[in-house]
Amino acid sequence: MIVLLDIVTTAAILFVVASGLLAIFGVLKIINFAHGAWLTLGGYCAVVTTALGLNPWTALPLAFVAGALLGAITEMVIVRPLYRRPLDAILATWGLGIVIGQLITLWFGRDVQFTPNLLSGTVDLFGASYSIYRLFTIAAALIIGCAFAFLLEGTRLGLSTRAVIMNETLARALGIDVARVRLITFMIGTGLTGLAGVLLTPLTSVDPNMGVGWLIGAFMLVMVAGSSFAALAFACLIFGGAQVMVSTFVSPILGGITVAVLCALVLRVSPKGFSRG
Amino acid sequence: MAERRPSSFNFRALILAGLAVLALLLVLFGPMFLDRFTLNVLTRSMIYAMLAITVDLLWGFTGVLTFGQAAFFGIGAYAAAMILTHMGASPGLIALAFALAIIVPMLVGLVVGWLSFSYKATPLYATVISLVLPIVTTQVVFSGGQWTGSSSGLVGYGTLPFGLVGFFRLAGVCLLVLTVAAWFFVRSDAGKLLVAIRDNEVRCAYLGLNPQRLKIALTTVLAGVAGLAGFLFANSSGVVAPEITGFVFGTELVIWTALGGRGTIIGPVMGTIGIDYLSANLSGELPFLWNLVIGTLFVAMIILLPNGLAALVAKFLPARRGAGAMRLTNLAAAGAQVTAPEEAALLSVKDLGKTYGSLKVLEGLDFDIRPGELVSLVGPNGAGKTSLMRCLSDGTEISSGVVRVAGQEINGRTPNEIVALGVGRKFQVASVFESLAVADCLRLALAARHRPSPVTRESDLALPTAALDILRLTGLDHMLERPVADLSHGLKQSLELAMVVALEPRLILLDEPTAGLTKTERTTIGGILQKLTRELGIAAIVVEHDLDFVRTISSRVVVLHQGRLVLDGTVDAVANSELVKTIYSGGAHG
Repeated sequence: MIVLLDIVTTAAILFVVASGLLAIFGVLKIINFAHGAWLTLGGYCAVVTTALGLNPWTALPLAFVAGALLGAITEMVIVRPLYRRPLDAILATWGLGIVIGQLITLWFGRDVQFTPNLLSGTVDLFGASYSIYRLFTIAAALIIGCAFAFLLEGTRLGLSTRAVIMNETLARALGIDVARVRLITFMIGTGLTGLAGVLLTPLTSVDPNMGVGWLIGAFMLVMVAGSSFAALAFACLIFGGAQVMVSTFVSPILGGITVAVLCALVLRVSPKGFSRG
Repeated sequence: MAERRPSSFNFRALILAGLAVLALLLVLFGPMFLDRFTLNVLTRSMIYAMLAITVDLLWGFTGVLTFGQAAFFGIGAYAAAMILTHMGASPGLIALAFALAIIVPMLVGLVVGWLSFSYKATPLYATVISLVLPIVTTQVVFSGGQWTGSSSGLVGYGTLPFGLVGFFRLAGVCLLVLTVAAWFFVRSDAGKLLVAIRDNEVRCAYLGLNPQRLKIALTTVLAGVAGLAGFLFANSSGVVAPEITGFVFGTELVIWTALGGRGTIIGPVMGTIGIDYLSANLSGELPFLWNLVIGTLFVAMIILLPNGLAALVAKFLPARRGAGAMRLTNLAAAGAQVTAPEEAALLSVKDLGKTYGSLKVLEGLDFDIRPGELVSLVGPNGAGKTSLMRCLSDGTEISSGVVRVAGQEINGRTPNEIVALGVGRKFQVASVFESLAVADCLRLALAARHRPSPVTRESDLALPTAALDILRLTGLDHMLERPVADLSHGLKQSLELAMVVALEPRLILLDEPTAGLTKTERTTIGGILQKLTRELGIAAIVVEHDLDFVRTISSRVVVLHQGRLVLDGTVDAVANSELVKTIYSGGAHG
């Protein structure tokens, strides 16, 4: 039973971490390899709010705003010249990740920082105690998923975005401001990643390299999911589940590479991953 | 610009030869005036530079962005260190360690290559695999217990008895040999294949080459080179740690290559040695600032100067082209002249269908084509003409029915296999290799049958008569050393046609060969086509909108409409048909 809960919460955490990357890849067809740096940025937003003595929850909006602002600058300066060179965009954003990581190190030092838990304690479920915070991540994943569904299906921006995803040339011809859609998408994606960074703080330690470990897993999941949030949720459940099973029953070290290896194999068999059935 | 300037070439070659001698002297006499720290650092930097060359051959030349070379390096280093730690360091065992350090990475490279490069796999997928490989390797090292030393690595094993100075010279000589070998290779005819794959992989396949197999071979060989570098590293440093197998080290290799200049050989070598040496000296004093500077430079370089520092330097060197005169000669007619019996169908299409999901693009097509026929394929936009051409040249596109070329079923076969059966395809938009010279493009057309030299660039270019005719008619024979990117639209079309004809095909597929050409160019192409079919017995299928052109050249016309074959007959029968006038009113002005 605990394993089942572990699977669902692991999938929820993976979904939270990968959704910002997916939003950007789905619309811009660009892989933001500085994704890990935004997670770190979010983590340090939690550190800053703690240092200022604010309620730990205020880190969430702070991280979203900081992530989105930095994302806006990044899109305009670094990503915009590279839309036609997607492999170079991977490299340039990786370089940006190094820069952000070093700036954080210069400012805060390279030591591990501690942040107060957003929700502490455990709850008794099925005869065993389980961390309340891990359960909360399920809610967080659902909220993010629903928010995206609403943004895409229920707003004018979402309509333009879907048009850009389907046929960018036609969207441009119809007078949709593609550059604006890209900028806003990038800001939402990076803002969300900053938010995910805050949500990670109770689960991992905060240090200048905290994001890098999550990058590959998120990247692989997004490759499999294509541009669909439903596919991402599905991929998180399947591969997150496999990860928990391997970690629990085989070896935690092998568990760490389960997601990457399985995603690579899925992509070998079906290059489009889960995005088409 | 296409003027041949042997003197400038000699000057450039002289500079590089001078550099090589200087490097050799530095390597041999450097230990006399360099201190221990510098020797240590430079030994490591030179080993890393060998890796940068492998990254550059894959990424800079072939266009495959890889983070995986670190893993091959790590596997080689660990293979050597594990033999030396657990079995001992007798001369025989050192030889074994040496062999395994190369063989094991090559085997892994073979598997990785097979995984990364399948027909229709995206370029991003190879990058994805190259990310997974170092991560898996690192985890395997971590979980190896005492075999791999887990997180603390292996240390204190016996090594080659060379000492600091000996290893410095060994690494230097290895790097120099690799640099010179790579330098000659990328300038050789075989080396042009790498750039051809980067420029236009589809065209490579349609020249009968197998780009997937070439990339797998390249990955395997370069994994072996990385393993050799790993062997040197394990011996000279006396320690192996999990970091050297990892993804982060893999990205560092890419950064050094990018800063030095991808697509050159000297650039990444200089970049790696320079940055690694400076890192070792500066990172002690300003560790974070140094990485910050490198990161910032890297981002700026990727955006503003994608070809790195070497591109800046190259601007001040004389132009590279003009390596002696290229001579055209006549290729002795090969097997292609053996034509099938006249009455046998060269191409036979039975009940061919093509669907995209629920959309039927082609349905129930039946026709035969015999040697020497010049068949025009006409029909309004969306009739399925290009889809038909695709099905005839790429068997994986066929949804239903059977297509046979010279009696052999092509269903499920990839383009390069179909080219081997004698089918050449010319695309609608000229599909050539933009960064190569005209002569190199033509030689690549021969590469599937005449193995190109991996060491030199031959000065004789032997082409079939028909291809020579095209070159002479269009004046391309005087532009052999000109970069393809500088050619006009019409000349690119002619070059592609010459490349396809150089394949000595029995059936040639042409998708709108005259689109966007001038009247004169059109007449030239029409004359060439007629000569090919009537005199050489080649069969041709031409997709064409210009009915006047169709009328002059064709021996037969096939009309497609909404994915079905509606008419198949002589030029006059089709041109006078009421049916054609109604469905094809836009083009029927005769």
